[in-house]
Amino acid sequence: MFASSELNQRNRNRERVFRVLFGTMTALLVLPVIIILVTLVVKGGPVISVEFLFGNPTNGMTAGGIFPALLGTVWLVLVALLASVPLGVAAAIYLSEYAADNWFTRAINLAIINLAGVPSIVHALFGLGAFVVFFGLGTSILAASLTLAIMTLPVVIVATREALQAVPQSFREACWNMGATRWQTIHRVVLPNAITGVLTGVILEVSRTAGETAPIMFTGAAFFLPFLPQSVFDQTMALSLHLFVVSTQVPGMPEQLPFGVALVLIGIVLIMNSLSIALRMYLRGKKKW
Amino acid sequence: MRKQLQISILMFAAGLVLTACGGGDQQRTIIQNKGSDTLVNVAQAWAEAYQRVDADVVVAVTGGGSGTGIAALINGTVDIANASREMKAKEIDQARAAGHDPVEHVVGYDALAVFLHADNPAVSLSIEQLAGIYGDGGEITRWTDIGLEVPGCKNQEIIVVSRQNNSGTYAYFREIVLGKTRDFRLGTRDMHGSKDVADLVEKTPCAIGYSGLAYTTDHTKLACIVNQGSACIEPSVATASDGSYPIARPLLMYTSGVPTGKVKQYLDWIMSDAGQCIIQDKGYAPVRGVTCS
Repeated sequence: MFASSELNQRNRNRERVFRVLFGTMTALLVLPVIIILVTLVVKGGPVISVEFLFGNPTNGMTAGGIFPALLGTVWLVLVALLASVPLGVAAAIYLSEYAADNWFTRAINLAIINLAGVPSIVHALFGLGAFVVFFGLGTSILAASLTLAIMTLPVVIVATREALQAVPQSFREACWNMGATRWQTIHRVVLPNAITGVLTGVILEVSRTAGETAPIMFTGAAFFLPFLPQSVFDQTMALSLHLFVVSTQVPGMPEQLPFGVALVLIGIVLIMNSLSIALRMYLRGKKKW
Repeated sequence: MRKQLQISILMFAAGLVLTACGGGDQQRTIIQNKGSDTLVNVAQAWAEAYQRVDADVVVAVTGGGSGTGIAALINGTVDIANASREMKAKEIDQARAAGHDPVEHVVGYDALAVFLHADNPAVSLSIEQLAGIYGDGGEITRWTDIGLEVPGCKNQEIIVVSRQNNSGTYAYFREIVLGKTRDFRLGTRDMHGSKDVADLVEKTPCAIGYSGLAYTTDHTKLACIVNQGSACIEPSVATASDGSYPIARPLLMYTSGVPTGKVKQYLDWIMSDAGQCIIQDKGYAPVRGVTCS
């Protein structure tokens, strides 16, 4: 009576096939990440030393360290964050909390999505035209970071807006019913509850900002500059460009050095990310729903 | 809850303060030097060595190609533009219109070598043969077409390695080998750096490529070049500076107006024996004979 019919059997077989198929796909996705990380650690690991991390490049950049590039990347990322996070969060608050759902808001949303789709080299040329030449910032950290900020704004806006929208409407209604204004509600209830989502956006932005090469190439990054930036108006070296340079532009480069640079770049992104992940976990622990 | 926002703001601030502590307070002059990828490694070596000559001057070197450097000179964003080709009349007009009168300085010579795999039996190639290999509609597509048998090369089909079309090296090779109007053939492998060309040819028996003499590796060989029936000339620093090697060009630095102050001192140092020995050490030809240790 409960013997499986032929149809049941076939469905079950099919089920198994799809399970294995999708499982394999997932494994295939993880594989490149593992291969990349293992290769970097194996080939680049031996290069990493205190001198490599904190020294100046020497001997045509084939020896010595990468400190100017390392510090340059930290500068670029932080200044880009300072520019894009307040702007992006403010825009997201407006779009999510204030703006009415009409054609104008939808057009803005569409523009943001399109901004996310603009290739980074186009942002680079825009940055060169706008910040370097028109605003006269010259090739500088500020010009490069502003270019990066514009490029990563959509990430911050979209992540923040989604975080804001994930806060239950009833929270806001409860607040309004107590007589709070819209701003009081946003600042005391909505934002604190959405902060973890905002940080997710920031994490994504940090990773992208640190790794981008094209937008900074014309706007602020130097091939070689054995000098630590003193202000945002200085030019700087950057790890991503340095990686490009040491792997393609310099003859007689020791084979492990580019791997070492790549490892440090990934390491920086991981450290910056884990700071905000730790902060996010701490804040999530306080969440009340 | 307000505290949570404060924590995150504090973290950003802390990060900034940390990085701000990185530098000292010295009064330094920064010379912006940008342009040719051919010249970028020499420019870097000069900048690195110049730190020991004048610690108050920092030379910021950026690549991007001759066109990038010249555009920056026109925009007034560099002190010295590096170029591996002369500025075009149009570019000079643009620069003058923007208030920058370009002054040219020849800082060395670059010989473009024709790279072959170490197993390739070819010794000399003529400019005409190169045109047949590289040119649009050229007849030479297999090594056997010029009577060669390259071991390890399947079908003897020539893999033609070239550069991306905004590279000064690309423009110069085209001008000498193909003339100003003829195009490169379709289907060339266009590499993004001088070093990539050498690296690819080194690994590919079928390949032929062109790149700066400085990019020679132990596992590639350089063809001796025959120009209009003359004896073949080996690419070398000596044949490039005396002008006998047919694919050699001057390496240029442009300044806006006659240089003064720190920029002048830097250029003078580049032209000195110390500077010229560095360019020779990088595999390019110096502007005059120098004796280096």
